Amino acid sequence: MGKIGRVDVLRAPPGTRAALLGNEAIARGVIESGISVVTGYPGTPSSEVIMTLHAYRAHELGIYVEWAVNERVAFEITYGASIGGARSMVTMKAPGANVAADPIVSAAYGGVEGGLVIYIADDPGPHTTQTEQDTRWFARMAGLPTISPIDPDEARKFVKVAIELSEALKLPVILRSTTRVAHTVGDVVFGEATEPVKYRGFKKDVKRFVRAGMSWNRERHAWLLQQLRRAEELAVGKGLVSSEGSGEYCVVCEGVSCGHLKEAMRSLGEGEAEKIKVVRLGMVNPIPREWVKKELGGCSKILVLEELSPYLEVTLKAALHGLDAEIVGMEEGIIPSVGELNPAHVTAALNSFLGRPTEAAGTEVQDRAPPRPPPLCPGCPHRNSFVALRFGLAKAGYSPSKVPVFGDIGCYALGVSPPLEAIWTEHSMGASISMAAGLKIGGFEGPVVAVIGDSTFYHAGLQSLIEAVHKRIDLLVMILDNDIIAMTGHQSTPAWARTETGREARPVKIEEVVKAIGVEHVYIVDPYDIDKAIEVVKEAVKKPGVKVVIMKHPCALWEARVKGVKAVYRVLPEKCTSCMACVRVTGCPALYVAEDGKVRIMEEDCTGCGLCARYCPYDAIIRVERR
Amino acid sequence: MAERILNILIASVGGQGGLTLSRVIAAAAVAEGLSVRTGETLGMAQRFGSVMSFVRIGEDVTSPLFGPGEADVFIGMELVEALRRIHYVRKGGVAVAALTLKPPVSSSLGIAPRPSKEELVEELREAFPSIRFVDAVGEARKLGNYRAANMVLLGYVNGLVGILKDESVEAGISAILRPKAVETSIRAYYRGKELAKE
Ligand code: SF4
Ligand code: SF4
Repeated sequence: MGKIGRVDVLRAPPGTRAALLGNEAIARGVIESGISVVTGYPGTPSSEVIMTLHAYRAHELGIYVEWAVNERVAFEITYGASIGGARSMVTMKAPGANVAADPIVSAAYGGVEGGLVIYIADDPGPHTTQTEQDTRWFARMAGLPTISPIDPDEARKFVKVAIELSEALKLPVILRSTTRVAHTVGDVVFGEATEPVKYRGFKKDVKRFVRAGMSWNRERHAWLLQQLRRAEELAVGKGLVSSEGSGEYCVVCEGVSCGHLKEAMRSLGEGEAEKIKVVRLGMVNPIPREWVKKELGGCSKILVLEELSPYLEVTLKAALHGLDAEIVGMEEGIIPSVGELNPAHVTAALNSFLGRPTEAAGTEVQDRAPPRPPPLCPGCPHRNSFVALRFGLAKAGYSPSKVPVFGDIGCYALGVSPPLEAIWTEHSMGASISMAAGLKIGGFEGPVVAVIGDSTFYHAGLQSLIEAVHKRIDLLVMILDNDIIAMTGHQSTPAWARTETGREARPVKIEEVVKAIGVEHVYIVDPYDIDKAIEVVKEAVKKPGVKVVIMKHPCALWEARVKGVKAVYRVLPEKCTSCMACVRVTGCPALYVAEDGKVRIMEEDCTGCGLCARYCPYDAIIRVERR
Repeated sequence: MAERILNILIASVGGQGGLTLSRVIAAAAVAEGLSVRTGETLGMAQRFGSVMSFVRIGEDVTSPLFGPGEADVFIGMELVEALRRIHYVRKGGVAVAALTLKPPVSSSLGIAPRPSKEELVEELREAFPSIRFVDAVGEARKLGNYRAANMVLLGYVNGLVGILKDESVEAGISAILRPKAVETSIRAYYRGKELAKE
């Protein structure tokens, strides 16, 4: 039965069984539903859809698949494609939907011709996201049909369902997942592939596509409401909602909570599970109200299982208003409001719901191991940039601990941990520059610094920089240019001359953009040349107005992968005095203290940047060529 | 193991190959006709953070997670991370840890304790007396690639517990690893199996 070799996720025949990540399964879904345009902006846990399409060369199957500069541009590209009849998909993490909110909300009025799937990955936990925001409310606000799969195989199927719904309703459809669907590996069975559907014609229809006419907007609003009522019917017709069992005790679930529930019910013991009716909502906006009344109207008690917020609970309380059922869930504290749901929560909720004794919850075990917050990688150029910033400010006569440093979103935010403790804020994409400007405008007198990565700069830093330059704010902007979107798994930026698909691209150079915006003092330095980088910071911070220092060095992990590591560093124990300067300046995870109290280097992790050696006062760290 | 669901917990440091290990097991389980769910708990960084992978295989698995005290099999790829997660193994379960120490930056900086290998081994034995230790990196290095330590560990636990058939594991390895790494990985797997018998 064992299948030898890799499964080609895009080309393997129908019926193939494979263990796929939810996002890989969604990439397969793209092939099965005739999508011809895919774009997005990387964001955990959504990135692997496009990465998988790249890895298996979807472009050779006639599909456009490229990263875009940010989520709103990405969405607008797919919207343009879809009003011309092409089938398309845009991918993003939940905060990306905030960035793309403006065009998404208007698209509910204009509608589409070719199916458009907006894939948004939420992150209960959160594991890798700034907030535990709930896309389901956004979907309701925008008025877009939204479906939520329970596991990777259903995620695959739901891509096609989303395309069908989208074309039936002429509305973009949100495919919403969470970390435990997107980043779970599950067994998946492939379906038939469908030829990519491209441009089919674009008819001028100003009432539909020009939002400047207010009476048109009222018309389209009425149209949208009518489509949402149809969506309620389709949810039932397409089997996106289902029920199982019967009884007065009813449990409503959605997404991965249905998976937890199924296993929790098995553990209930003889006869108990039979008392429960399970209602599964695969469509979460709109809720098919008539169907819900029919299925849940006879329940005396309803437990709602969901994550992030009591969205379904509130919705059901409204839909079932006037009926006798008691509805409980997050609002009553039966399941947690913060963090993700796990099977133990579901079991406890079921027990309390059924009035059964709950086993004493296992006491939280105290973590006896030393903490391991994620550090910057060995040789990470951001480390050098932060060291240069600190020493440059000091050389310029400022106390580094008194200079506010506004960070931004990317790997460099990991510089918040000791020993660097380099940033004071990390807020939203591009906010470093505008928030730093705001502090100055508010009356702060000393120097302020904004630190932003290359891709974040392209994504949303540009506009902030224009604002700061235009208002002549005194501000040092450090652009950490590692030539890649590193944190989300290494994606291309607009500076690349060739994208992942081999597409020839016109590189957009940061220094040219910055100069064109009107920044007078622009410096480019390689932070691996640490002494020069320090001098540049020292000089730049004294200049008036906005000055930009571009710290340019490729991501160390990427560089090591592409070029290999030619030399590493080694500590000579006889010379090491245990002064700890190397550790305290760099915090490099390849350094450690051995049992003799002296420092050592894990040579398989060292990438040979030499920063630790530069700061060893005793020349105890030497360079060794790798054989 | 057919009707039951087997819970496996892998504790590792980002970059060690813990995620690859969980994917190989998942692919092997599917090659064997089983269903599978994995869940990863990892920090933001791609590497050097604390990583916990849940793998669940069986006839009809629907949830990717399980709780402390519920792992049938525990694989620690690094001693500090093994200690952090050892409470996940159930009574009567099987635990294996690699004799690898990667002290976190907090230890090097002296803001957190700096336990030695021996102390960690001792603490792990206290927490779970039947835990076994393997020099997985050393064994993998002898075979030509220290990165295959994860496959040594897989062979070791499969030798002890008999989770999956050898040919399923081989299928899983060739489905997940780069073609270049397949041969060494398979050899590392069998080496691990041998060690379990010693
Ligand atoms: S040279 Fe030093 S600072 Fe650079 S990666 Fe190696 S150990 Fe870390
Ligand atoms: S800076 Fe040099 S002398 Fe000081 S602890 Fe590090 S290696 Fe040893």
